[in-house]
Amino acid sequence: MTDEEKIKQELENKFTYLKDAVIVKRKSRVFAAVPLEKFKHVFDYAVKNLGFDGLCAITGLDLGESLGVIYHLNREGRLTLNLTVALDKEHPQVATVTDYFPGADIYEREMVDLLGIAVKGLATGQHYPLPDNWPKNDHPLRKDWKGEAKHA
Amino acid sequence: MSVISKVINWSRLKSPWVLHFNTGACNACDIEIIAALTPRYDLERFGVLLKATPRHADIILCSGPVTKQVSSRLVRIYEQMLEPKFVVAIGSCASSGGVFGGCYNVEGGIDTVLPVAAYIPGCPASPKAIIDGVVKLLTSLEE
Amino acid sequence: MHDSGEVIIPIGPQHPALKEPECFLISLRGEKITAASIKLGYNHRGIEKACESRTYIQDLYLIERICGICSHSHSTCFVQAVEEIAGIEIPGRAKYIRTLIGELERIHSHLLWLGVAGHEIGFDTLLMYTWRDREVVMDILASLTGNRVNYGINTVGGVRRDIKPDHQEKILKAMDLLEERTKYYIELGSSESTLIKRLSKVGMLSRADAKNLGAVGPTARASGIERDVRKDDPYAAYAELDFKVITSDKCDVYGRTLVRLGELMQSFSLVRQVMQKIPSGPITVKTGRKIPSGEAVSRYEAPRGEDFHYVRANGTEMPERVKVRAPTLANIQAVSKMLEDRYLADLPIVIAAIDPCFSCTDRMVTLHDQTRHKKNTFAWETIRRKSISWYRQQGVDFKALNKKMAKLF
Repeated sequence: MTDEEKIKQELENKFTYLKDAVIVKRKSRVFAAVPLEKFKHVFDYAVKNLGFDGLCAITGLDLGESLGVIYHLNREGRLTLNLTVALDKEHPQVATVTDYFPGADIYEREMVDLLGIAVKGLATGQHYPLPDNWPKNDHPLRKDWKGEAKHA
Repeated sequence: MSVISKVINWSRLKSPWVLHFNTGACNACDIEIIAALTPRYDLERFGVLLKATPRHADIILCSGPVTKQVSSRLVRIYEQMLEPKFVVAIGSCASSGGVFGGCYNVEGGIDTVLPVAAYIPGCPASPKAIIDGVVKLLTSLEE
Repeated sequence: MHDSGEVIIPIGPQHPALKEPECFLISLRGEKITAASIKLGYNHRGIEKACESRTYIQDLYLIERICGICSHSHSTCFVQAVEEIAGIEIPGRAKYIRTLIGELERIHSHLLWLGVAGHEIGFDTLLMYTWRDREVVMDILASLTGNRVNYGINTVGGVRRDIKPDHQEKILKAMDLLEERTKYYIELGSSESTLIKRLSKVGMLSRADAKNLGAVGPTARASGIERDVRKDDPYAAYAELDFKVITSDKCDVYGRTLVRLGELMQSFSLVRQVMQKIPSGPITVKTGRKIPSGEAVSRYEAPRGEDFHYVRANGTEMPERVKVRAPTLANIQAVSKMLEDRYLADLPIVIAAIDPCFSCTDRMVTLHDQTRHKKNTFAWETIRRKSISWYRQQGVDFKALNKKMAKLF
């Protein structure tokens, strides 16, 4: 059994709700869709028990009906485990993961600025990457963002 | 007349001091500007000197598509320069916004905020093109 | 900076009463830095959003221009994700050409870095030498691709231009020449006491901190972390090539210098292997313009470290989402740690040592003197000059070395 398949099995065994939600795309690429309310458990297990000791990036995205966040974890620089959660579009909120990875700070700020996702537990701080005087509630990465017409 | 002899000609009249300012560029043009000052191209030989402060500069070489964060600072730096002063837009982004034209957070070419005396196209503008463009500007000023 | 025991408010271009967006905010107690924070966003252009309203081919040209030093890194990282989603297997020859351009890019980038580092510490002849050497690579890249930077070599399905027979000799000759020059720089780096003294124990980043803060590339490898995407998660032709991952246990700027020098030597060998092993055949496969729904993660070892791209496709000619995490973003978080309890005079070289992908030339530095409760903002150039003169007072002066090297030029 490959490492990737082992990870799939361990996740599905530990968290029964992940059955059929973990996909081995290819070598070094495992994807899993995680229910939001269970996210912290799965994340914690991946980091503490499955050896995922690095966070490459966090991708926020607008999925149309909902917003999504993908946490791209990696193990020893080799294998990436990509955990996706879906968020309610009206009140999108996730908990910070800076307690696991201090470096996540800047990736979380990016989601706040560009998608308007609230990150609970993230220390108040600077904007990134938008300028300080960018209008509030104006999130360019949202699919329905009308800003381009303004700036054209 | 070759580029080099043109430069020699005019450097006897005036050696411009230039300020280099990046308005949100990818750095390609910035590196080519600095490369223009290194031995292979050696703009410095002709008295063109890179300066750190706007107050000492005659020419401001601008790269980049002017991001919103940088726009007001660019204007202020220009205001600190003493007359006569000239703005040179280096590269496609500085000329017109380049590939970033239409991106949010980008104003566009340098001429959206400052009067531009010369445009040097290229993505990036090569060191030879930069020297050629600066020489053309200085020659035109003589006339 | 100190002068006869007093705390002086440094002179230099100041911008009082302006709501100057500070780039570096440094808190000082005397000459020592107590805290450092860096504000990014100056180069934020809105590329990810723009990608969604352009075709994949147009996006190749846009993404190449995220950074004018590692443009091929970004382009390749992106196109790999697209090809994976579409299930496209590119020809072997294309993989090797991408590898060739990638290593040539690493070579020019590391030589550029050496020059910039030299400039930051006042060792300007190093800038002249390394940037002269770098021109050899720029010429080859221009000859192979048509441009010195932003090569446009990639397309979805392979590469757009082939290597011609007469390129082979030029490339091998260039590797021989640059290898000689790099050996000289390595000798300089291991024997010139001024250089060693200036760079050692500066910008310390322990292995644990490097890991915790997510550092990548030479910055992480100089803290003993043996990670390199080319080895760990191979792409292009790397699985078929032989090379070492260069690390150092020094955890300082000197270590970062040694790692980059070592990587240059590995790159010369990789280029030679590519020229020897490159298979014949087509350089591209035909693909449709629409990419089927799907998502992929792509990783690439850029000169500065791991470049990370995520692409989501929706069956059209345009991507649904493109996410780019450039290596500098991963490394920038470690910088505050590196500056803690260090001298202000170390600021320029410590920042330069992560090889940041943002132009330092005009960044403003705000110094917050905590003992006198004063804040002042200065141009980077002012801080750099003050740093050089401060070290001169400590007996670390490059004047003699500059003179000696200028004679050899």
